[in-house]
Amino acid sequence: MRSVLWLRARARSRVLVYILLAASALWVLVPMVWAVLNSIKTLEDTFRAGAVVPFLQFAPTLSSWRTVLMDPGVVHALLSSFVVSSGTTLLVLAVSLPAAYSLARFDFFVSSRDLTLWFLSQRVLPPAVMLVPFYMMMVRFRLIDTWTGLIISYSTFSLAFGVVIMRDVFRDVSKEIEEAAKVEGATPWQIFLWIALPLSLDGIVVTAINVFAFGWNEALFSSAFTSLNAQTFASFILASRGTRDINFNLAAANTLLAIGPPVILSFFFQRYLARGLSLGAIKG
Amino acid sequence: MPDRTYHSAAMGHATQRPAPARRVSRRHARKLGDEYVFKYLMLSPAVLWVVALTFFPLFEVIRYSFANYVLGQGITGYVGFSNYSDVLSSARFWNSILITVIYVLLTVPIEVVLGFLFAWLVNLHAPGTKFFRMLITAPLFTMEVAIGYLGITLFSAQGGLVTALLGLFGISIPWLSTAAWGLTAAMILEVWRWTPFVFLLALAALASIPEEIYDAAVIDCETHWQVMRHVAVPLAWPVMTIVILFRLVEGFKAFGLPYALTSGGPGTSTQLFSILDYLTTLEFFDFGKGSAMSIIVLIMISVVLALFFGQMRKRIG
Repeated sequence: MRSVLWLRARARSRVLVYILLAASALWVLVPMVWAVLNSIKTLEDTFRAGAVVPFLQFAPTLSSWRTVLMDPGVVHALLSSFVVSSGTTLLVLAVSLPAAYSLARFDFFVSSRDLTLWFLSQRVLPPAVMLVPFYMMMVRFRLIDTWTGLIISYSTFSLAFGVVIMRDVFRDVSKEIEEAAKVEGATPWQIFLWIALPLSLDGIVVTAINVFAFGWNEALFSSAFTSLNAQTFASFILASRGTRDINFNLAAANTLLAIGPPVILSFFFQRYLARGLSLGAIKG
Repeated sequence: MPDRTYHSAAMGHATQRPAPARRVSRRHARKLGDEYVFKYLMLSPAVLWVVALTFFPLFEVIRYSFANYVLGQGITGYVGFSNYSDVLSSARFWNSILITVIYVLLTVPIEVVLGFLFAWLVNLHAPGTKFFRMLITAPLFTMEVAIGYLGITLFSAQGGLVTALLGLFGISIPWLSTAAWGLTAAMILEVWRWTPFVFLLALAALASIPEEIYDAAVIDCETHWQVMRHVAVPLAWPVMTIVILFRLVEGFKAFGLPYALTSGGPGTSTQLFSILDYLTTLEFFDFGKGSAMSIIVLIMISVVLALFFGQMRKRIG
């Protein structure tokens, strides 16, 4: 539905709106287009100022994509990223969903609101603060350079997020349905599994995307705790950028591989994102 | 209150037929017992997890911050506050705090203004705005490290896009070879990376303002600008304070983007707090100093957050 402000706007204002929208699109697109173009150029073409339009001004080539995707280091790092982010997502959901439901429905010796706030306060902690104790813990339990070690670390940082946002989602599930099931003799476990969870699928998806993206993008802990076996793509990029002379075309292909998966995921679930991002402060 | 309804149903039952009432109430008691077990069983894994993996490590950080740590030998003794005084008297530490504060205080307001403005434009629902909404959201989940890495090619002195574009106007800026411009480049990308976050939340806030309010507003206000200032901004403000709070907190954690772009250089000039803490801890294995640094920063953050606490508690509900 058009806003009344738009309907009442003069032609001049309308043009201005589109000019500003176009500017915002340009602002977002320029780095991305730059990356896409560079990824299909030869190294020489990346330095030619006039090479902008593919086929007309330069001959596109998939050689940098081939180089990147044939690199076993890249493939293994992508695999690590995928395993670690998926594992983190599953673990966080498994631990945070029950807790969030419990907080949404019951009170404890302290109010559920204060317990939630306690979870929320965990998010304030900069991960860098936890480097020393986590490093020592990883050494003690032989988890240095393992997927398990990273999954445990990432879950710790995402858990609070999961609990806070999912509590808010569960609070919106109609209590009447749950009451009805209860009268029919359903146990709390059945109500949670077969009523609350299916009715909260949107929220669960948002939580999952956020947690997945966090695991995918995290670089501090993966650089600190992994080297070869479990290196994720984020720390792979950080490690490979050490040399001053970087190949623009390979850098572009790597960048696109790195930002692709979570961005594509987010496109499908645009509608629900605001709520997840605001930890429930905004009803999406 | 789920149990109360159940309770009153059982009571109603009891007044009519006394005999089965005991059975009902016993079942009720068992159900309550079930519920008690249920709620604690459901909650405890998460609580235990946080206690084991946040509280215990935090305690360890405090312990290490008072310890003399030698790589290979572990803690060789406790040294009181000497790690703290070392950190507090180090110029590098204060530089990192200063540039982190600059970084956050410059990027967050720009993100908020840009994000709100984009949200305002999209919320007009002009034809075709769905497409723009999707575009503006795109950088939302992009990997910071990759953006910093791409940033090298954008700001590079040889063949960098920004350098080339500015060159057309005869402007030449030493982006990655000086501290101030390196930090500026990182901040530009940071704004690019995080504006979508503000945008989406501001859009949700604006969308929740009822259309009738705008109907009334257009009668009283001459320009869009006035509607925005006197109607939309005040109504969206409670949400925007939360957004600003989140961005301040997250901004302080910034690591991947600036580190990938400048690796803290030239020299140590663009080492934000997280970068310095990372290097102190894992390149130099100075666990004592790294921990003391962490504790000092944690105290600083807590003080700032205490100011927002009441507001946050209200919103949690």
